[in-house]
Parts: sequence; C-alpha cells; structure tokens
Amino acid sequence: MLQTSQKAEAEPLLTATGVSKNFGKTRALVDASLTLRPGETVGLLGANGAGKSTLSRIISGHIQPSGGDIFFDGATLSLNSTRDALRCGIALVAQETSLAPDLSVLENIFLPNLATKGRLSYRAMRIDANRLLAGLGHEHILPLDAEVRTLSAAQRQLVEIAKALALDARLIIFDEPTASLSATEVDRLFDIMENLQNNGRALAFVSHRLEEVFAITNRVTILREGKVVAEDVATSSLTQGDIIQYMVGRDIGAIYKKRTVKPEAIGETVFEVKNLKALPWVRDISFSVRRGEILGLGGLVGAGRSEAVEAIWGLRPRQNSDIQINGKPIRLHKPADAVRAGMGFVAEDRRAQNIVPDLSVRENLLLAQMGQHRGFGRGYGKRANKVAELISDLGLPAHRLDTSLLNYSGGMQQKIIIARWLLTQPKILILDEPTKGVDIGTRSSIYRLLQQAADAGLAVIVISSDFEELLGIAERIVVMSDGITIADLPASRLTEEKLTLLAAPRTSAARNQALLAELAETYHADAVWTLLDGDELICLTQAAHDNAPSAGLTPGEAIMVDQTLIPKAIREHGPGFVTETDGLRQTLFTQLTDKRGHDLGWISLTIAGTAQAPDPKNIRAKISNLTSTDKDDLNGRHP
Amino acid sequence: MADTPNTPNSDIPDHVSTAPAHPLHAVFRTLEFRMLCLALLLAGILSILSPHFLTERNIFNILDQSVVIGIVAVGMTFVILTGGIDLSVGAVFGLTGIILAQALQIMPIPLAIPLAVLAGAGIGLFSGVLIAVFGLAPFVVTLGVMAIGRSLSFIASGQRSISGLPLDLDAIVYSTFLGIPANVLFLIGLYLCAWGYLSYTKGGRTIYAIGSNAEAARAAGLSTMFYSILPYVVSGALAAVAVTFSLAQIMSADPMAGNQLELDAIAAVVIGGASLYGGRGSVIGTLLGVLIMVMIRNGLNLIEVSPYWQGTAIGSIIIIALLAERLINWRSTRN
Repeated sequence: MLQTSQKAEAEPLLTATGVSKNFGKTRALVDASLTLRPGETVGLLGANGAGKSTLSRIISGHIQPSGGDIFFDGATLSLNSTRDALRCGIALVAQETSLAPDLSVLENIFLPNLATKGRLSYRAMRIDANRLLAGLGHEHILPLDAEVRTLSAAQRQLVEIAKALALDARLIIFDEPTASLSATEVDRLFDIMENLQNNGRALAFVSHRLEEVFAITNRVTILREGKVVAEDVATSSLTQGDIIQYMVGRDIGAIYKKRTVKPEAIGETVFEVKNLKALPWVRDISFSVRRGEILGLGGLVGAGRSEAVEAIWGLRPRQNSDIQINGKPIRLHKPADAVRAGMGFVAEDRRAQNIVPDLSVRENLLLAQMGQHRGFGRGYGKRANKVAELISDLGLPAHRLDTSLLNYSGGMQQKIIIARWLLTQPKILILDEPTKGVDIGTRSSIYRLLQQAADAGLAVIVISSDFEELLGIAERIVVMSDGITIADLPASRLTEEKLTLLAAPRTSAARNQALLAELAETYHADAVWTLLDGDELICLTQAAHDNAPSAGLTPGEAIMVDQTLIPKAIREHGPGFVTETDGLRQTLFTQLTDKRGHDLGWISLTIAGTAQAPDPKNIRAKISNLTSTDKDDLNGRHP
Repeated sequence: MADTPNTPNSDIPDHVSTAPAHPLHAVFRTLEFRMLCLALLLAGILSILSPHFLTERNIFNILDQSVVIGIVAVGMTFVILTGGIDLSVGAVFGLTGIILAQALQIMPIPLAIPLAVLAGAGIGLFSGVLIAVFGLAPFVVTLGVMAIGRSLSFIASGQRSISGLPLDLDAIVYSTFLGIPANVLFLIGLYLCAWGYLSYTKGGRTIYAIGSNAEAARAAGLSTMFYSILPYVVSGALAAVAVTFSLAQIMSADPMAGNQLELDAIAAVVIGGASLYGGRGSVIGTLLGVLIMVMIRNGLNLIEVSPYWQGTAIGSIIIIALLAERLINWRSTRN
C-alpha cells in the first residue's frame, strides 16, 4: 500500500466516461465514469440499485451500455459478450453466481477454457486448480470432482473466484465477493487481492461492507441512483460517515441500534433442538431459544449452519434429532409441519429458495399464509388487515401489490420475504443470512423489523457470517464449527475476534486439541485452551490426564476467574508455574498468538501441586511452535 | 456530486411506475389479449376466404371440433403449469376408450363412464407418483406410459374397433340447452371451473408456485408433493372424459384413437402462452390456442386446401406466436 502514490500516476488500464444504461424507462446509469489503474483496487460503492452492478456488468461485457465511452489499455473497448471481455482479460466475480451447476468444480473453474479449441488436459487443470484453491486456502472444503449444484452458496462463490484467478485476468471486478464469507475467509481473499494488485492487476471491489472497503481499496467511486457522486477519491481521505453520506444522501445513524431488552421481557424456552444430526454437514447441534429473544447462530462457511436449519425445516434428511416446541416434542417431516407448528423460515438464497418469480408481490407475501391455511380457497381474506399494516410499514404502495416482485430491489424483496413470515404470526422465526446483498439503509430497517417482532414475543434465530451483525443484533450467540455446537454465550461477552476464534475450523482446532492432548499426556496435566476477557474465562477445548487435578473448566462454558480452581495462576500468568494458595495445583498459564500477533487465547496447564514442575521453556516452545507451523503452512499455500 | 437530487425512499425502485395503471391497460398487455387478437384476425381472414366460415352452422362445427382437444388441453395446462409434460394423454385416451366400450357391453352408461374416468385418473396417478415421489423426469415417465397404454389398448381390444355401443350414449353430445349442444356446454363449464380453480384456490396457486419455484413453494409450507401429482391425475381423468364425448359421436372405439392427441394438446397450451418451464400460462390462453388450431383446420378444409398442409399451418402458427412473444419481451426489457 506504500506505493499507492506512485501507482496513482500509472496510466489507467480502463477509463469509462459518460456511461449510461437504460432499462425500459428506468435510467439505471447516468453519465457514470470509472478509472481503474494497474496495481490498484478501486471500491465501487453504492446502495442497492445505485447502478454499481450495472456498471460492472457493462465493463465485463454482460450488458451493452446505452451510451458512453470505455477505453481499455489505450484503445476503445467495445464488448458484445462476456467472451469478448474475457479475451481482453476482464473478468467479473459475480454476485449472483454464473456457474454451471451440473459440471464439477474443476470444470467450472476452467469453464472459459472449455470454449477454446484443442484438447483439454484434465491432469494439468487439476494441478492448476489445486494451486488456485490452495491460494484461497480452501483446497480441503472444495472437492474438485463435486458437482457445483451440491455446494453451498458460499462455496460456489469460492469457485467463482478461482475461476477468475484461473483466467489470469488483467482486470478483475469483485462484485460483493465477501457477502457469504466469514472473517478468516475474507482475510484470505484480501491477501489474494493484495497479491493480484501487487502483480500489476487492476481490481474493482464492489461491496456494502465499509470496513472491507477501508481494508482493501486505494480509491473509491461512489454511485447513488445511477449517478456518480464521488469519483476516484482516495480512500484514506474519507471516513465511514462520509461514505455513508455519499451512498444514502442522508445520515442514517448507527446501523445497529442495540435493543434494550428487559430481562423480564425474555420468556420461557419456546424452541429447543438437541443432538441434531444431518450428515455430512451437521453432526451434533443443540441449541434453544426463548420467547422474545434474538439468538445468533454463528460459524464459518462450511460449519453447517444453513444445513442445520434446513434439516430442522425438513428440507434435508435428518439422522437424529429431538426438537421441542414449548417443551413438547414435535415431529417435523416437511416444511408444512413446521409452518403449522408456528415456525417461519427465511432461507439463505433469496432467488432460489424464497421468491416465486411468476407470482405477484401480493401472492409472494401471502405464500406462507396460504401454506398455513387449511381449506380449499387461498385464505387471503383472513389477514387482509395485517397485510395492509405490513405493507405500509414497508413503505410499499398498495397498488403495486400486483406487480412482479422481481421489479424491486434486493432489499425490498428481502423485507417482503420476512413480512411473508411475520404475516403467519409465528412463535419462532429462523432467518438465514437475512441481510445478504442488502444495502445499509435496508439492513437497519430489517434489524428494526426483527427487534420489533422480538419485543412482541417472537423467538428469533438469525444465522450470519457477518460477526459484527451477529454481535449487533443477537442477545445470545451459539457458535458452530464443523457441524458441532461448541459454545453458547451471551453476545455481551463476545467480540468479533473471540467469535472468529471460537468458530475456527477443524484443522486448527484439531491441531490445538492434539497439542493439549500431548501436553496432558507428557506432563500428567489438565490442559485447557481458554479465552480470557477481564475477569472472565471462556473455555474452548480441554484434554486431561487421568491423574491430573482439574482446573475447574468445562469446554463451551464461560466462568469467572474466581470460580475456577486456578485463580492465582490466571491472575499472575507468570513465566513459570504458579502454585495456588492451597498448594494442590500448580499451573502454567501462557498466551497463544497467531502469525499476525492476534490473541488466540491462553493455554493453561495444571499439574499436581506436589509434582516436580517441568521446564516451562520447553512447553512454551511447543506452544509457539504450533503457531509458527501455522504461519509456514499459510505462507506455503500462497501461489 | 454537483447535483444531489432529493432522495426519495430508497427502497422503492424507480423502474416501477408510481401512478396506478389503468386496469384495462393491464388487460391489453396480457398474452391472452394478444392471442385473442390473433384468433380474431384469423377468423377475419378465413371469413373473407370462405363465405361458409362465418355461418352459425360452421361456428357450432368449430366448437364441436374443439371439445375433445379442448378437454385434453385443460389437463395438459395443469401439467405444464407445474413444469411437467404429459405425453401419455393420447394413449390414455385410446385405452380408456376401449375400457369404456368394453364396460358398456356389460354395465349401464352411468356406471361405465365413471369407471373409465377412474381408470384414466389411475393411470395419471401412476405417472404422477413416479414423477413427484420418485423424482423421475415427466417426459420419460409419460413416454413410457404412452407406450404401455397404446400397447394395452391393442391387447384389450383384440386389435380391432369395438362398435355396437348403446345408442343412448349420444345424449351427452346431441341434447341441447338453450340451443347449445351438451358437449359444448360441458367444455365451457370445464374451462370456467379450471379457471376458477387455478386462479382462486390454494391448490391452483400452489400449482403455479410449483412451476415457478418448487423449492420456495415447499419451504413456504405448501403441499408440493400432492399438487405435483394432482395435475397428472386430472390429465388422465380428462383424457377419459374426452374419449367419452368422442365415442358418443363416432359410436365405436378404436385402439389407435387419440394418436398424437398429446401433440395437439401441447400445441394448444403453448400457443395459449404457457411456459414449458412452468409457472406461466392460463386456461383462457389454452382455450384460445385450441380455437386457433381448430379454426385453421376447419378453415383450410372449407377453402379446400389439401389436409396435408394443416401441419405446416399449425406448426407455423406455433413458431410465429412464440417468436412474436420473444420479440415483444426483448423489446420491453431493452427499452
């Protein structure tokens, strides 16, 4: 990033001026301009419907502009198709994925190659693909031979990114690539983007997430209602507030307005899931939610969150589950059972799982109501008042109810889908990534909608990859990793860093577990991996030797330092073993950090007070060895 | 930057007109309206070409000729709305015709007809279960059922036509009410019921929702399994109803009856504007499609064009109708 000032002087790779695009009477883009230079990342920002996707689709040849000039590499660019764009070296990592669902991951990554003449070497492709995926850090969770249709939305996006990387494109537009990625994955993506940028590629980054814009872009171009309102401005000269101001044209205040929940407002447990198993993604999930509570389900992509709720909803086969509503076991075989039991579910993929495109807004709104209705007719009359109330809440004019839902922005579509379920007056509402691809203004109104519903006694379960969002909206967070619930904690005790750590995928968790087991075995100790936050400890994993004295910690639970059996060692966390005042235990409490120096928590090693204390240096070496191999591992995987 | 227009509620897209549209305007923009224009245009041309076309007798003739294909096309509309296809209707028509003729030899008419309809429904249920429960492709399942049905109708009939049906049977065609023949009345009633069902009942809307996005329909708690099977049952049953009217006119059952009837029915549904992907279409469109096809056949007969040209004419209409629709859609999305 230091070279930014020199790079700014580089000849632009692409200059677009006066670009406009009309869809029917709609002017999606008016006189827009964009400049992309090699070795630079430009953020393309705007609320939903501002025209940033239209602009990126014009540059990538998906659609043709109604007017304007585009120069690429010194010559006028005129694209008739995406193939033209790819030939020039312009690739788009799209928001709505453009993959062939029946082809394998491998074939999709090299899809553009399939259009070239001559024979394909699958062997060479396989090697290349492994290299690309390793660069993304995802070679383990993306089997090359799996059909793309079997992948989750997030995994598809990873394929999409690998596909653009495979083209070795000179200009890559990332259209909300992080929408379904978790914090760690976003970090990895940014590493890759920085790498591409340093190799002299021009990148455009379309996103709603301001933190990411600041993390990765050099300059930003901001659109509002089809017009450029800030052109090619250095990111460093802006604040988040400035950008929001540009994007929405008004000050929207804080996105997350924390709900003030009175403890008495939260009622009895209405919904409980025990030992849910739906292989291969969901292995052992348990959680419960109470009346008036917003529960967050957090975890990384691939942790099985969506799969778990889809299994509850009857969209996936379950091997084992004990589901209770109001303390009574209930059998949910198909979605209709759940709907009639007073549940609602906003699935992750709006277009594929929620919207019925050929039905009008009204019919989409009343779809779940019709599912709940018993009888021959549509049952539309029953909730007419509630419909009128909801649509005025949403700011939707009544006469537009009979138009197509597809005419509306993603944010409005999402609000209508949420309203679809509120209309059935459920007791439990599950939302999977409710703000995916939704602009900031709509996001805050969705949060408000959910908070109002919770205040009225609804039990809300929100799944999100966006930890900031989870912490902002949920009162309690259940963390999942690799198909297992590993923690259940109040949001007030968590931070984004802790959540990321708790949600860490199996590879590192397994390694940490192996280390704990080794330490426990070698030193006859109780070895625990914990997070320390002021006076509170959160215990992650544990391994104990049979003869070891317990430190009083249980995995997945939070405990005050004074309630543990090793308070002195925790408070002092000295360089060596600390013996407790009662002399029964001595403990080494030492910190774990990652390659960037982030706090990964603490390892506590408790042995009997009478035992001969081993040399703490050896133990520390073992522990730091763990994170340094982690470092080598990550670096080694980079392309 | 310089111009910062006042931001309205950003949730409302500007590409939806703010003013409520005139209700008639919406009607003019429907596909059914354009098909009605096409049908009227066709009728106009044919009445110029032949003085006999626009006579009361010929109009009743056209309606009479529309009954069999019209009934079958209703079932086909149900199936196509879910995104499926029923290639077996012609064979079911033939087989249930033989079943009806055999049954009429040994039992009274009011028993024989329900039996044949039940048989048709049963065959539809068989296809529907294979498609909805076992997830087999509708094209393949109904292709198989078509082959089985035709083969069974030859076996059951002993490879020849069955005649000697009770003469009372023709009452369902030739009795009249207010001067309108019973079969035409039935057709009108059937279309009204089907239209009402598809537009205003839970089942009807579920059928549309399945064709449009089955996953979303299921997730919203609709009984997608039941309503994926139902259209095939309706289609099979209506094929049997259609053959009943046919038998009452011809007074004999042929094992080859209804050969390629499925293609006529699909053509009528497609001309009527339904999408073969499901979710889009209506029985009103289908009725217009049926009338357009029958008018072409009838008109070409009247102006004494060789019957071998009928296929070319109908095929061209299908292609022109689809092409015009596509061009209209392109224009409306482009500008």
